[in-house]
Amino acid sequence: MNIKIFKNSFILYGAICLVLFFVPFVLKNDPFYVNKSSTYICFGLLAVSLSISWGYTGILNLGNAVFFGLGSYCMAMSLKLKTDAIHTGTGGLPDFMVWNNVTSLPWFWEPFYSLTFGIFAGIFVPVLLALVLGFFIFRGKIVGVYVAIITLAVMIVVYLLIMDQQKFTGGFNGITDLFVLKMGNLEFDAYGPTAYYLIVSVMTIVLFISLLITKSRAGLIFQAIRDDENRVRFLGYNVRTYKTAAMCVSAAIAGIAGMLYTIVMEFASPTFLAVPISLSIVIWCAVGGRQSLMGSFLGAIIITAGQGFLSETPTFLHTWTLVMGLVFILSVLFLPKGLAGLFEKLTK
Amino acid sequence: MDFFVSQFISGLSMTSILLMVSLGLAIIYGTTGVINMAHGEFVMIGAYTSWILQTKLGMGLIASIIPIFIITAFIGFLIERLIIRHLYNRLLDTILATWGVGVLLQQIVRLSLGSELKYLEIPPYMSQSMNMFGQDVSIYRVFIFIFAVAIFFIAWFIIYRTSFGMKLRAVTQNKDMASSFGINSSVVYSSTFAFGTGVAALAGAFVAPLKSISPDMGTNYIIDAFMVVVLGGVESLLGTAASSLIIGESSSFLASFSNDTLAKALVLIIIIVILRFKPQGLFTKRIRS
Repeated sequence: MNIKIFKNSFILYGAICLVLFFVPFVLKNDPFYVNKSSTYICFGLLAVSLSISWGYTGILNLGNAVFFGLGSYCMAMSLKLKTDAIHTGTGGLPDFMVWNNVTSLPWFWEPFYSLTFGIFAGIFVPVLLALVLGFFIFRGKIVGVYVAIITLAVMIVVYLLIMDQQKFTGGFNGITDLFVLKMGNLEFDAYGPTAYYLIVSVMTIVLFISLLITKSRAGLIFQAIRDDENRVRFLGYNVRTYKTAAMCVSAAIAGIAGMLYTIVMEFASPTFLAVPISLSIVIWCAVGGRQSLMGSFLGAIIITAGQGFLSETPTFLHTWTLVMGLVFILSVLFLPKGLAGLFEKLTK
Repeated sequence: MDFFVSQFISGLSMTSILLMVSLGLAIIYGTTGVINMAHGEFVMIGAYTSWILQTKLGMGLIASIIPIFIITAFIGFLIERLIIRHLYNRLLDTILATWGVGVLLQQIVRLSLGSELKYLEIPPYMSQSMNMFGQDVSIYRVFIFIFAVAIFFIAWFIIYRTSFGMKLRAVTQNKDMASSFGINSSVVYSSTFAFGTGVAALAGAFVAPLKSISPDMGTNYIIDAFMVVVLGGVESLLGTAASSLIIGESSSFLASFSNDTLAKALVLIIIIVILRFKPQGLFTKRIRS
């Protein structure tokens, strides 16, 4: 029985990933909609990231967007250093540094000349933060509300620091006028299908790795921690190591999502790690079903696509957000497992 | 010395705003255990109610205090009855539900009153400055400070000196035991929620003339209010007052050495570290289980 479910979810995930590969055909390669679809998939990955820490391990991380934002900034820093000379000062200094009277490139920008380093940092920096945070929070056996508040506060601190250090981070404007990502002979144009295929490929890999993790022994322990932390502790498992690990996996995925998001948006902005987006992730997971990776993923895509579809007129957008708020409350009250829970009930 | 006095006074001004915003949150959280993410929106509703009463109905700021309290307390009462009360047995989910409530309130205001900024003027008789310890201090800020202290004492009086307060404390300590002694805990919960909402709204009404009014103004307050409450300890009113003072003053003094943004980040870092080692807050001996 167990093996059957195992196989089924792999087939289901594979089928959905395959369908997503054909989206550009359906959209007839329309640049605007292909670009939009790419952003929705980035948000989907972001929801998967929260699903692992919140849905599977029970860590309500209200500051999940900090990992997304850091990933995004790492990618943006790398692409900024490759940008055309019109957007730079003497010696390739980024334009906002010139405006802020910075004369030489700060030391922590130097390694970002290498794109490989940038991509590596986009995963590693968020993971490092998650490691420090996990060590800090879970050693003190802090649970529940306090985890939510501390993670939220940490994100705000990072946000404020980025806003404050304008001369190194671009401050309020973020890092703009980025170069198009190039790997070998491939150029990933944000409005073309190449970037979309890159994102769907990465998404497929990330989804399958996440699925493998949740089906593994560690994944089972994550879920056991969510259901009864003390019992797991009494069974001799090191709960805080597992919780930190869950948070690191979550951070890595969010970092990847952030990098991909920078590629399609062509800028990085402090709003990527601000409170509204971070709480949106929570909504996507709650509506889609936080205890299901695919549920969270599709929850994010449905909600953001709906938002994008209606965003042309502000009144529609506001009404949509209103409806989303209502759906969110109703799903918290009556459908704690979200749409995925509903799907499960219907297919049984 | 002048520098010290002026920073201290601006810290006190910040303290009084923090105290008003976080008092309602502390009462709700301390009594019901509900993590009210919509609290910032209650502040926003208060600011808008004040704006409507003053610009559309021509009421004065002082005259509108009681109507604002009644209207918003009723909104809080409805929210508790309709949504919150179904979640008392899964408190962590109240974060989500109340945040949804916050989104709803924001959107309702945005759709009905528009998302552009609105401004309220300080009443003319309070728009001057007065001299205090050799410093020019705005009379309105002094008024807010006095009002915050007054609200604090009213709340303290209700909780510690009235029979309702005794019931409230009984329910806080042990809901089942209190119920078996004939206390209607459901009424206590909804009136606490209504009271907390009303206080938050008053904070909004008084802060509005100092800043602009917008549908998303609440998000600026919710984090600060939470920091005050968790730092002070959830069951202690005095703790809330003390931590407002600590946060207000330290923000003010840190800001004078760097800038507002850095000061805010520093204060948050300090609070995070304190919470890590003393999650029950600075001023309580036991925590809600």
